[in-house]
Amino acid sequence: MWIYLLLFAGLFMGWSLGTNDAANAFGTAVATRVISFRTAIIIIAVLVIIGALFLGYQNITEVAGLATNNEVMASEEDVEDAEEKGTMADLRLKSALKAAIIFACAGLTVFVMSFLKFPVSANQSITGAIIGWGLCYADYSNPAVLDVNLPQIGKFAATWLLNPLGAGIISFCLVFVFKKLFEKKLSSLAAYDKLVKIGYLIAGAFASFSIGMNSSANVTALYYDATGKGANLLTDARLTATIGGIAIAIGVLTFSKRVMMTVGGSIAEISQVDGFLVIIAMALTVVIMGNWMGIPVSTSQAVVGAVIGAGLVGGVKNVHFGVFKRIAIAWVSSPTVAGLLAYGVAFCTRGYFGA
Amino acid sequence: MLSKRPHKNVNTLIMEEIKDVKSCLIGFESFMRAAVTPQTVHETLVTLSDGVCDAEAAADGSLRRMIDSLSNTAFLPATRSELIDIATGCDRVANKCEHTAKMIVLQRFRFPEEFNDDVMKILSITHEQFEILEQSISSLFSDFSDLLKDHSILDEIRAHETQVDIIETTLYERIFTRDTPLAEKTQTAHFVELLCDLSDIIENLADKIQIMLITRKA
Repeated sequence: MWIYLLLFAGLFMGWSLGTNDAANAFGTAVATRVISFRTAIIIIAVLVIIGALFLGYQNITEVAGLATNNEVMASEEDVEDAEEKGTMADLRLKSALKAAIIFACAGLTVFVMSFLKFPVSANQSITGAIIGWGLCYADYSNPAVLDVNLPQIGKFAATWLLNPLGAGIISFCLVFVFKKLFEKKLSSLAAYDKLVKIGYLIAGAFASFSIGMNSSANVTALYYDATGKGANLLTDARLTATIGGIAIAIGVLTFSKRVMMTVGGSIAEISQVDGFLVIIAMALTVVIMGNWMGIPVSTSQAVVGAVIGAGLVGGVKNVHFGVFKRIAIAWVSSPTVAGLLAYGVAFCTRGYFGA
Repeated sequence: MLSKRPHKNVNTLIMEEIKDVKSCLIGFESFMRAAVTPQTVHETLVTLSDGVCDAEAAADGSLRRMIDSLSNTAFLPATRSELIDIATGCDRVANKCEHTAKMIVLQRFRFPEEFNDDVMKILSITHEQFEILEQSISSLFSDFSDLLKDHSILDEIRAHETQVDIIETTLYERIFTRDTPLAEKTQTAHFVELLCDLSDIIENLADKIQIMLITRKA
């Protein structure tokens, strides 16, 4: 049973995602006191779990597939081989250990990058670490390996562009339509305030759902037994996603206030209406991209794209293009650093895991 | 979470406060008209000054009622704070009128006759300026989208302040080139400054309203 303790590495990652990602859903609303912190965390916690339960499992199988291709999780052949040799227990332990190492690499990346004050994406760090591990084990003399790895890396890199671009387009459309059709219907300050409150509630709830759907897979997918033959700790995809959702929800409920106030306060410069439209755009993008691309995408990237899209409605002059440099660093650095770290650990532990 | 209480109460109370401040400003204008009339006796000024003080007290009461009522509304905390800023800003106009009237009475100060027209001109511009402010505050509660789209009404308030500024500068030049003791010059300049402060306060309120609008524009 002690093997289940290795789950804590993933659950800890989920907890830390919860403490950070909650800010993307309700940070601005809480920091500007539109919604109380208590109301916000209850909505986030409930909807993250619902998102994980109803849609998160789809990403579980995708992430598990990615992890299997990158030698992080056991493949059918590995299972058959272990069954023949009678080493299933060993295989199971190794799978869980590798998952814990991937989370440690991603977690360390998030910690160090945050400490150095670089923007960072936890979701991208985990995917980067999986690919980094796989690159160490890839047999580059075999063209079939490249056939598997290159499209994966390409798909992953494509989200760097498509995710913020999609969020930017959706956000631009939402703000544009609001300005043209709804702004003139705001007869009084009271009507404006009411719209802002309702808007933030809907946007925050939707964003929480999308975080549950998108991020839960990252938290527990590496413990999912895709082979169905006991090669890993968790056998049901829906349960696996829900456990991830619960870990995120606990992070939200226990330790999200500080991050929420900091992040929310710093982006509160945009108008309240833009604020909730940006969150809706982010959530829509994460849901659409997550389903379409089949891999968890970065909510932080989506937020940045959405903020830029909202700014563009007022003209190019409203966009601070200087911010791109900093964001581009985060897009590339989070998965790259985590990937290099995982590559290094994989290289050093080849004797044990490669055997 | 979403209060169903009507906002009418706050809207009405804030407009009532503004009406009380306007009454105070009108009372002050009458007081000053009397003050620049050489035939006016001191007792008349005292009576008029008391009227200004009463109007200021009424405005204070309206302000307190408005602030009390805010806690029971569905306005966002930031909006509440902005509305309080606007209401207290209006109250400063009344406070300034009261203070100036009291000082004129206590110091038995009279403007030199040659400045009377300019002094009354400052007050007349300030009165107009306050009426535009009243209109723009009313629009916050009734024609918000129009105000959001076009807030040139606030530019009118600033234009009035510029007019007052020009008169103020000319007055200072004339005061300090008069052949009178420096103490008298300084005292006269101080009262001119007090009168012109009213317009500055109103302009600041226009700025606050503009900030409210800019931060709410999508």
